[in-house]
Amino acid sequence: MRQGSIALRLFWFSLCWLIVALAFTAFLLTNLYSSALDNTLRETLEFHLETLVGVSLSSTDDAFPASSLADPRFSRPASGWYWEIRDMDGNITSFSPSLIGTILPKVGGMFDADNVRTDVQKDGFGTQIRMIERKITLSDRTILITVTGNLDEMFDLVDNFRGQTLTVLGAMGAMLAIMSGLVARFALRPIGRLRRAVEQVREGETAQVEGIYPREIAPLADEVNELLRSNTQIIERARSQVGNLAHGLKTPLAVLRNEATGGGAGLSGVVLSETDKMAGLVSTYLDRARLAARTAVVGRRSNVGEVMDRLVRVMGKLHRETNLRLESGTGEIWFRGEESDLEEMAGNLLDNACKWASSAVTVTLVAPVSAADRTLTILVEDDGPGLSDAEAAEALRRGVRLDEKTPGSGLGLDIVKELVDVYGGTLSLGRSDLGGLKVELALPVARSTAS
Amino acid sequence: MRILVVEDDTNLNRQLQEALTEAGYAVDVAFDGEEGHFLGDTEPYDAVVLDIGLPQMDGLSVLEAWRREGRAMPVLLLTARDRWSDKVQGIDAGADDYVAKPFHMEEILARLRALVRRAAGHASNEITAGPVRLDVRAGKVTVDGKSIKMTSHEFRLLSYLMHHKGKVISRTELTEHLYDQDFDRDSNTIEVFVGRLRKKLPEECIQTVRGLGYQIDDD
Repeated sequence: MRQGSIALRLFWFSLCWLIVALAFTAFLLTNLYSSALDNTLRETLEFHLETLVGVSLSSTDDAFPASSLADPRFSRPASGWYWEIRDMDGNITSFSPSLIGTILPKVGGMFDADNVRTDVQKDGFGTQIRMIERKITLSDRTILITVTGNLDEMFDLVDNFRGQTLTVLGAMGAMLAIMSGLVARFALRPIGRLRRAVEQVREGETAQVEGIYPREIAPLADEVNELLRSNTQIIERARSQVGNLAHGLKTPLAVLRNEATGGGAGLSGVVLSETDKMAGLVSTYLDRARLAARTAVVGRRSNVGEVMDRLVRVMGKLHRETNLRLESGTGEIWFRGEESDLEEMAGNLLDNACKWASSAVTVTLVAPVSAADRTLTILVEDDGPGLSDAEAAEALRRGVRLDEKTPGSGLGLDIVKELVDVYGGTLSLGRSDLGGLKVELALPVARSTAS
Repeated sequence: MRILVVEDDTNLNRQLQEALTEAGYAVDVAFDGEEGHFLGDTEPYDAVVLDIGLPQMDGLSVLEAWRREGRAMPVLLLTARDRWSDKVQGIDAGADDYVAKPFHMEEILARLRALVRRAAGHASNEITAGPVRLDVRAGKVTVDGKSIKMTSHEFRLLSYLMHHKGKVISRTELTEHLYDQDFDRDSNTIEVFVGRLRKKLPEECIQTVRGLGYQIDDD
């Protein structure tokens, strides 16, 4: 069950948020700038109006010099910056030099309490202008003073500002997006580490999830470890109970069997054959229980060299007449699984080889040839009679014993085969250069680098 | 040959004792680890059949204690646990062989024969001294190919001397190894048996080393 990537989700979420936040910021900044400019324009126009009012009040003459306002924009024709003074009849008594060749549009609206009204209109050249007009009552007459400023100039400034703002914020947004992508990946790195640690447990390189994790995922690692521990405990408990029952039955079975031996065909014969069956069942299901428990146990690995050394030493004691030789290269080889299982597989193979050998048994450990090769091989060869191809094929068939007569001297391949299957290995029989049987046991290898 | 059986199951203990006695061994038995340890520590046995699961002191501890104390007799471990990891543990504790329950009695006998033979340094089940040939497995003695009839006591005596041929064996040693601890020991019976054996075997086969004991020449 997979849902999209957390990193990608974090990235898209922060990207959307960034776009909205930055767009809103651009909008807000532009509006603030525009209203600040407009205020400044108003204040400038009011200042000029006050100047003209002052000049008008102090002058007795209707006509006063056009240069009354120092701002040179009032001298430039079609600048959008104009002023004029007219009486209530509409006769213009005075105007700015910039008004030459055009006339001001009429200011609409009502005068406020201060006898001031404002408006936005277009002049004769199509330029948008902000207009402010004041009505002044002098001793003998009433005049109207109008001052205008160029709004298009202001709009150009705002447009410019908007363009720059968008460029800067866009660049900042891109940088933040990249950052948030990096942060998402960085923040999620511990999850990747945890995944690898769990993988190592499954691969049998470690028994527990190892490493130190951030507060958010440390409980997850702890829980996984707890799960592994309780799993192992349950399995061990079940296994030991089954083992106790099975082993407990073995002594009474031995007693019954011995008691019935040599007692003829009657009751003794029945007891003998039934105890044989029971003993077979006990050992079969004991093995099955071990195998069933085994598949659920993860995170085990064992040193092949050590196990084989030990087995060769023990075999040397059990089969003193056999010359037993172990050939292993340098360097450690690790089997991905339980030591007791490796011992069981290799022990049975070695024991067989020693039983059938005339004088010599050779064990060879073959390490994986490359890093990609995940298989180790144990070769067991003897100089005994060996098996024909047909016999070898028969021996590898489940539940077949080649020598039914002698107790305890079966090939013991059944349990070996089942274990090999559990670990996903292979078992093959062939002819050895020594003259007898060659058994090749291939098993999964565990990386030795893990601690 | 004198064998110690340490097994807590009374029935199995009895069966082992019967089978071993029938096979010509002198057999002592113990039912718990402490008793077994004491007997093995104080009596000279040619081999021991030792169960692992014992009350008071488990079999492996008994075995380790013996080996620590320098007792070197061959020990055949008897156990319900038959995995190789268990066997390795047993052998490492000092056992010489290992039989898993439930077993066939013949297997115990075969393993014991091999252990006793190996301990005495013989590679084969047949030991020869001149024309005398002792088949340990079949329990038969032949002289120049002709089968010789013997009682179990005579066979035990000859078997012990043949196993240790070339060595001088004292009467005391023979008594200790041929009879179990409950037997009324009288070294004169040894002389009687040696006398009987000499009549059945070629002259000079069993030599008397004055003041020391008996010897069969190593050829």
